[in-house]
Amino acid sequence: MTAMMTIRNLHVRFATPFGSLEAVRGVDLEIPAGASVGIVGESGSGKTVACRAAMGLLSGSNVQREGTVVFDGKELTAMTREEVRNEFGTGMAMIFQDPMTALNPVRRIGTQLSESLRVRLGMDKKAAMARSAELLSFVRIPDPQSMLKKFPYQLSGGMRQRVMIAIAISCNPKLLFADEPTTALDVTVQAQILQLLSDLRRDLNMSMVLITHDLGVVANHTDYVAVMYAGEVVEQAPTTELFANMKMPYTQALLNSIPKIDMKSGSRLQVIEGRLPNPVDRPKGCGFVTRCTYAQQKCHDEHPPLVDAGNGHMYRCWFPLGHTIARKS
Amino acid sequence: MRRKYTIPTYFAFGWLGLSLFLAVFGSFLPVDGYQVIHGDFIDSPPFTSGHWFGVDSNGYDIFSGIINGARLSVFIAVMTVGLGGLIGAFLGITAAYYRGRYDTVVNTAFNVVLSVPNLVLALALVAVLATNVDINEAVPTWRRLATLVISLTIVIIPILGRIARAATLAWSGREFVVAARSMGMRDRHIITRHIVPNVLPALIAVGFLAVGVVIIAEASLSLLGVGIPDGASWGGMLARGRNDLEYNPHALYIPIIALAFTVISTNHVGDVMRGRLDRREGRL
Repeated sequence: MTAMMTIRNLHVRFATPFGSLEAVRGVDLEIPAGASVGIVGESGSGKTVACRAAMGLLSGSNVQREGTVVFDGKELTAMTREEVRNEFGTGMAMIFQDPMTALNPVRRIGTQLSESLRVRLGMDKKAAMARSAELLSFVRIPDPQSMLKKFPYQLSGGMRQRVMIAIAISCNPKLLFADEPTTALDVTVQAQILQLLSDLRRDLNMSMVLITHDLGVVANHTDYVAVMYAGEVVEQAPTTELFANMKMPYTQALLNSIPKIDMKSGSRLQVIEGRLPNPVDRPKGCGFVTRCTYAQQKCHDEHPPLVDAGNGHMYRCWFPLGHTIARKS
Repeated sequence: MRRKYTIPTYFAFGWLGLSLFLAVFGSFLPVDGYQVIHGDFIDSPPFTSGHWFGVDSNGYDIFSGIINGARLSVFIAVMTVGLGGLIGAFLGITAAYYRGRYDTVVNTAFNVVLSVPNLVLALALVAVLATNVDINEAVPTWRRLATLVISLTIVIIPILGRIARAATLAWSGREFVVAARSMGMRDRHIITRHIVPNVLPALIAVGFLAVGVVIIAEASLSLLGVGIPDGASWGGMLARGRNDLEYNPHALYIPIIALAFTVISTNHVGDVMRGRLDRREGRL
């Protein structure tokens, strides 16, 4: 199995007035060709920043990136900006979280959609428009011809997200990052969009990274999962293995906080108490220690390394779930 | 959802249209040249037959003067705001898009220019640029005109440049800019196709206000005697008429009315534009 993208020891730091903020702290991740990888974690865990940094989309003088990213056999981190730009669209593309702001409000859908076709693939105006209509029907938008002439404000959120997906897949990328593509949409539309993404991935033979905070979404739509917490990957495994054999208390807490249909009426939804550690001044032990029900002294003192449990399952915990003997010590 | 304009707005558009028409076609109208001296009618009041607006103490017909002055005043205003807007928008947009040291330099320069009062700055620039080494040799009119335009352009650049910079700062943080980058668009393409169309409405709205500022500034400079020397613009008419206020007040107040209407109209149109813009913004 070849890797479409390999991320090694990725660090991202932002210079802030309060000191250096390390948003991503040594992420290792492999995205196999043709597979779908889910990245799960709560808000602020570094999911989005890690992906944007991997792609090379973070800019600004206050951002510092370290580590190596290899995409399709090419080392992105060693390439010039212009060389990386050539991979955008045709090599890798991204779907954004909020379809309300990710489309330019003053330009027509057709213009925005055909833009990358014309600039990146060198199509003429007519061919690009025809292809745009085709792409819109790919993403199951009815009456694509009239849609081309509309402005974003005339579309609903779900329709806009479909247009965003159409733009992202317009140049046949090999790897698609979907950054919480359904967060801004309501639940019925969420299911449609996720199904659409899964179908497109299969039909176009893309690799996909699906960023989400919903383990339920991950279970249905991914082959591999990486759970992120406070800028680190804390557990990573093939999806079936993860749900069968969960090691991290944090992953379990995430799973428990999903509302279930068979919950007793009137019972309280389980939440993860507390907050993420301060990213500027981080405690030396495990980042989850203050919120973990199983925390022990060792968790406060030492930072847990990533442990390989076999079957491609890795976790970062001193006292993983299912190790009762170890926990007593 | 186009909202109907109110009567003052129609009036403002009408007046600006009329000024523009006079500026462009004024010299083709069947009206005497403004420098024709009507010796028999000196100091005659408005509504004299043949001289609707009266004649000033030099014997110049004021109606011809207004028509001819429209050309100069409007030309200077449009030229200055166009030029200043172009340069200011370029500086402001690139500064806000690229940030960094370039932005600091541009923004500081804007602030420095803005900190000097408009008129003082223009006066200083005209004084420096439009003086001959040999004071006995007259400065040619074209050079006075060019100096005036350049000085007022320098006044306008930071006004519109700051608007462009602020709007770009707001828009370039939007996700669609990152989205365009993630599809491999070049910076230049993103600026011209994504940023400029969003920034333009704000610039146009403030541009109208700037036209008013320039017309006032030009008139003030003329009144101070550093405008166009032969008194052809509206401000020049004021400069010429101010000595005869007691004998010939209409030589003063007719150009003033023309100036006031124009400035009020540009301000009003600018306000209407901004109102429409805000409403549109709220809907996005």
